Amino acid sequence: MSKIMTVDVLSSIKGAQPSETVNKLFEVIKKANTTNNSFNKNHNNAVSLDDLREDVVIDSPQAEKQIIIENFPKEKNGFLVVSKVIEE
Amino acid sequence: MNKEITCTQLVQERLDLLKSNTNNTVNSLLDTLALELAAKVDAKIANGQEIGLLEGIPFGIKDVYMVQGTYTTASSDLLKKYKSSYTATAIQKLFDAGAIPLVKENCDSFGHGSSSENTIFGAVKNAINPDLVGGGSSGGSAVNVAKDYTVFSIGGDTGGSVRQPAGYNNIYGLKPTYGRISRYGLMAYASSTDCVGPIAKSIEDIRIVLNVMSGKDIKDQTTYQSETILEDNILNADEIKTIGYFKNFIENDAIDAQVKSDFLASIEKIKAKGIEVKELDFFESDTLVSTYYTLAMAETASNLSRLDGTNYGARIEGDNLKDTYSITRSENFSEETKRRIVGGNQVLSQGFSDEIYLKGLNLRDQISDNFEKDFKEVDIILSPVTPNSPPKIGDSLSDPLAMYLSDAYTVGFSLGQLPTLTVPQGTETGLQITAAKNNDELVLKFANFLKDTI
Repeated sequence: MSKIMTVDVLSSIKGAQPSETVNKLFEVIKKANTTNNSFNKNHNNAVSLDDLREDVVIDSPQAEKQIIIENFPKEKNGFLVVSKVIEE
Repeated sequence: MNKEITCTQLVQERLDLLKSNTNNTVNSLLDTLALELAAKVDAKIANGQEIGLLEGIPFGIKDVYMVQGTYTTASSDLLKKYKSSYTATAIQKLFDAGAIPLVKENCDSFGHGSSSENTIFGAVKNAINPDLVGGGSSGGSAVNVAKDYTVFSIGGDTGGSVRQPAGYNNIYGLKPTYGRISRYGLMAYASSTDCVGPIAKSIEDIRIVLNVMSGKDIKDQTTYQSETILEDNILNADEIKTIGYFKNFIENDAIDAQVKSDFLASIEKIKAKGIEVKELDFFESDTLVSTYYTLAMAETASNLSRLDGTNYGARIEGDNLKDTYSITRSENFSEETKRRIVGGNQVLSQGFSDEIYLKGLNLRDQISDNFEKDFKEVDIILSPVTPNSPPKIGDSLSDPLAMYLSDAYTVGFSLGQLPTLTVPQGTETGLQITAAKNNDELVLKFANFLKDTI
């Protein structure tokens, strides 16, 4: 059985509720006419296979690594600390 | 360069102006970096070395671009202390050309807004009338240029965020063709319409900065290789024979009477130069706005899901990991950002996606088809930038629907991924010049023509 997830859970925002203003925008879309054009035909943003970059790991420069560590919110005894993960 | 003033003096003078400004345009000053770079330029001049076109030119950067080692806050509490670990491609290209960054500029948080009021740094005040909004989301950038604090600024345009503030502050602002400039290092709002856009006081400055930033980038695979736009190529607009405008943008109740009559007067002046002007049919404003916001919200919900306080950002600890995520996000995102994330997750959920999201994508295809059809008949589409003059500070926050609808004239061109330039002419908030995809040169060409015509 599928579990129903509310928007606050989906968005990871406590107490979040759908907005009336945004729902008004959605109503316009629901009422609009659609065509039978093939789906997504104008969105040719996909990258050609010939154009893909090499699938290699590029090591970050030391300066970059240092800033990434500085940005980490919590540190203890030289370790970066994350919140406790619980099994459900 | 006028040798009477050194680059260091120039940079110091602009930094002082930015520091003392009361328009709330500054999130952080890059004074140490700017003065170091200015000293290098002065040394080059003193040694008689040749300097480039942008060398020593002070510029501003919307606070959504990564610049290594600087705070990049997106005007949000969540990233208030976040430091970029790398530099955006577009900004790096400007550095390589010798331009000097002065400031990370105030904007709507994560680009979510049309007034630059949705920010933790205080509402940006309009350059012409400080009781009015600076426009958004790149409000700080537009005001800095209008006030001459920066020679040019780099904004970001997802649904009008460069063009509208440029219009509100009577300067030039370009949204290039999608993919012309790399988005690598621009904090993602809605990836399928996000564009890097220059804001400046002249067409020539826009051309130079656009050329420097353009080009294919392996780090943004939606980029393409474009031709450099030469100064001589945009001086003569004789090849432009036919332009069009959207009849329904002008013939409706939402447009201000003055904006309407000024726009039509501009059309008459263009006709008088022998250019044919065609009235075109287009989608209703509410359809355009709803399509844009539906897709943009879906994309931003996805893009901002990474901001959970785990690896970076202002984490607020809860009882466990999930609790930490939701407290961090509910406390640190603004009401507008939360509204868009929730809206995005609504349309992406099962049961809604077919009815709204996929239908939105279908409408976008229809809008693109419509543009393709139009550009078989006309070279340029001209439109007002906004239906009304800039609102007073405070008004947009209390009426988000009115704010969304104020984007009616800009969002369509974003969905079409077309090049569109705001010029400070024709109506109180300017005019938008749009051409077919990849035809940014024609846009600048027509802008030069309008400069001499209106």
